[in-house]
Amino acid sequence: MALAPTSPHPPDTAPTPTTRPSGEARRPKASSEPPEGNRERAKGRDRLWVAAFLVPFLLLYMGFTLWPLIATVYYSFFDWSGSGPLDNFVGGDNYSRILGDPLFWQAVVNTLLFAVGTTLIKLPLSLLAALVMTRKWLRAKRALRTVFFAPLIIPVAMAGLVFTYLLNPSNGALNSALHGLGLTDGTTDVFANRWTAMLTLVLISVWQVFGQYMIYWMAALQNVPDELYEAAELDGASEWQKLTRITLPMIRPVAVVIVMLALVNAMHVFGLVVTLTGGGPGTSTYVVSYFIYKQAFGSMPFAYGYASAAALLFSVMAFLLVTSQGLFVRRAQKTRKEYGV
Amino acid sequence: MGTGHRAGATRIGRLALAPLLLAPLLAGCGGSSGSSGTTLKVWDYSAEQTDFHKKAAEEFHRQHPDITVQWQSIAQDEYKRTLPLAFQSGQGPDIFYWSENGPLAMSQLLNQKWIQPLNEGSALPASFTKRWPEGSFMDGVNQLDGKTYAFPFSESTYWGPGYMFLNKKVFGDAGLDTAKPPKTWAELKSTCARIKAKTKAYCIASPTKDVDFQRIFYALAAGEFTFNDLFFDYRKGTFSLAEPQAQKVFAFIQELKKDGYLAPGTNDKNFSRQQFATGQAGIIMDGTWTPSVFKSLGMDSSQYSVAAHPVPDSGAKGALWSQPDGNKYWVSAKTKQSKAAWTFMNWLTQPDGYFAKQYLEGGFGTLAFADNARYIKDPAMRQIMGIADKPGYRVDLPLPVTKCPDLVKSQAYVKAIGERPNWEYEAMSGALSGDKSLKPEAEQVVEHRQKTLTAELKKEAAQGLKVSLDCFTFPDWSYTSDYRPAK
Repeated sequence: MALAPTSPHPPDTAPTPTTRPSGEARRPKASSEPPEGNRERAKGRDRLWVAAFLVPFLLLYMGFTLWPLIATVYYSFFDWSGSGPLDNFVGGDNYSRILGDPLFWQAVVNTLLFAVGTTLIKLPLSLLAALVMTRKWLRAKRALRTVFFAPLIIPVAMAGLVFTYLLNPSNGALNSALHGLGLTDGTTDVFANRWTAMLTLVLISVWQVFGQYMIYWMAALQNVPDELYEAAELDGASEWQKLTRITLPMIRPVAVVIVMLALVNAMHVFGLVVTLTGGGPGTSTYVVSYFIYKQAFGSMPFAYGYASAAALLFSVMAFLLVTSQGLFVRRAQKTRKEYGV
Repeated sequence: MGTGHRAGATRIGRLALAPLLLAPLLAGCGGSSGSSGTTLKVWDYSAEQTDFHKKAAEEFHRQHPDITVQWQSIAQDEYKRTLPLAFQSGQGPDIFYWSENGPLAMSQLLNQKWIQPLNEGSALPASFTKRWPEGSFMDGVNQLDGKTYAFPFSESTYWGPGYMFLNKKVFGDAGLDTAKPPKTWAELKSTCARIKAKTKAYCIASPTKDVDFQRIFYALAAGEFTFNDLFFDYRKGTFSLAEPQAQKVFAFIQELKKDGYLAPGTNDKNFSRQQFATGQAGIIMDGTWTPSVFKSLGMDSSQYSVAAHPVPDSGAKGALWSQPDGNKYWVSAKTKQSKAAWTFMNWLTQPDGYFAKQYLEGGFGTLAFADNARYIKDPAMRQIMGIADKPGYRVDLPLPVTKCPDLVKSQAYVKAIGERPNWEYEAMSGALSGDKSLKPEAEQVVEHRQKTLTAELKKEAAQGLKVSLDCFTFPDWSYTSDYRPAK
């Protein structure tokens, strides 16, 4: 039986309460804005409590986010080693050197490759896992959730060290297993080549954060009303049709946000590179955060000014990337409101 | 009951919370635990000497009850990052270990304002300076304007990389005798072939991660030419990674890898040392500090032998370097315990004192101010001394600062090597992993460093310093003999 056509795109007009499915009453109402001029404000002593709860966060925010940002901008115009007076103003010299530094651009390319690579793998996989985890017939959900989430609890550096030993071609467990099965000669070094090293970094990162994105997807899936599935069931829809005609369209607004989060988080990669590859072989797995770290703390004397300029330049690039995605996010936010999810 | 009662209870709750929030702050504002006397903080990165340092500190405190020494060893990889941050945040140690840049270390540390002279700048007593051989204290190296900033710590004939350690069990299993070590590159290859054929062990545990690559490179390159620990060739006045000799050495390392004689993987020194200690490799190239490291890994010196590094088949054309003041403890410029620091340094360097005796008997290395032959009992250390005593194994490098005293104020060399200080190792590691030629990137490295050195020297000369590239060039010096300035 053909399924009644449903458009994957949101309706042109927002559905009115009378045309919405009957489960509408059970869906939490979107909070409505009070009329202008009628907004509730904290009064009297309550204001003090509002301030008391906000001040610690503001202090931390200013101390650990705003101040370092301002300081970084300032330092980027100096040739400064991090100690001693800030007296060697070089203007834009640091920036012009960075723009001409092939290692910086290699780090940028690697970072983008890593971000795109991890996102392309972890999001579909974690969505699949979330879809399975939200099935009613699945047993031991809690145990499975713990298993998937557990790698996230391991500190990144520790995970990197563990895999350094597991993947070591001399006596690592993986190599021994592959050699025992006759698949390799026992000397396969995944870190000997740029592309296998990058792929290894991507896969280990996916393994570590998989659980986190599975939770995000599960939260998104829980906002899809059951009534839609029931209605589709009545219409004789297959599982694939339910997935492609109901689930994916309904979670699309949230998916855009998850994709943006995934990309931005992946661009922060650092701990795995330090522990697994050290930027090697040679400099072929340098990422931007590792480049900044090496410039800031690896040079002697430290090159704080140069590292600050690199950090700022990459922040601008990341900001442009995120801003360009912002268009999709805004559209998604609008669609979410229309769908009421 | 009602809002009045609830409001009162809430107020009492808030009042009760306040002391709980304030108590930790008040405790933090309190003074120290009340112990009298001075506390000296000493930092270094010799983690394998932690127990020894603890005992030394206790002995010092026993002899000087008014001074307590807190001796902290930080992992070497982290030390260079932690120390500057500590100084920047005002939490630096009173005495610290710094061995970067050899003879130029004092210049660099003065420029960064990290050090102050010993004994608060007063003249050092003769009873102190006579502990060292004549000529150990040099202007521009550890003295400036009549003040002494440090003293030679390690005896420079024996201290450094370039020794070959042989695992007796692996050699025995391969039917080889560690008393007949390979002396040439060809013999090294045939030894490795034997180990590979007869045992399950790898031949050479060679760390190739980052700066740890230096261990095999320095040992083998010393047979071809002589350069300092930053790849600078003083005969030609140039950074040397692109030189034919360096390329030849690297090509040989690539052959070793291709033939399967190097343990696979981009491993760090700790991993490679563990491989050797557990019998997974037969040979490791490392330095004077290695016996104490092996001891901490549970490997006794009866389980291995030390030999000279193999040389090219055509004979040795170079040597390992020796330069004064390769290792030093410095007094921080920020310390308020200058007197106590001097008392400690004076105690530490007593030739027949507790520190010297225990340090040498413990096999941690050699000391420039003590009778090494008398106190060193560790068989591996005695083997090292026997090897290094042979003429031409380690030679004194030229000292640019003695040719051009203004170099003590120069930052040109430090700037040339300071930008991407590990570039040479990154280039070698990449070329080795990718099985490609080192030459293109080596030429890039050399060009960049040489350009920086030359440009900075020109700038400094224009500002009135009597410095030039000529200060770093000694064309009459031979790679295989000690440099002696012309009189």
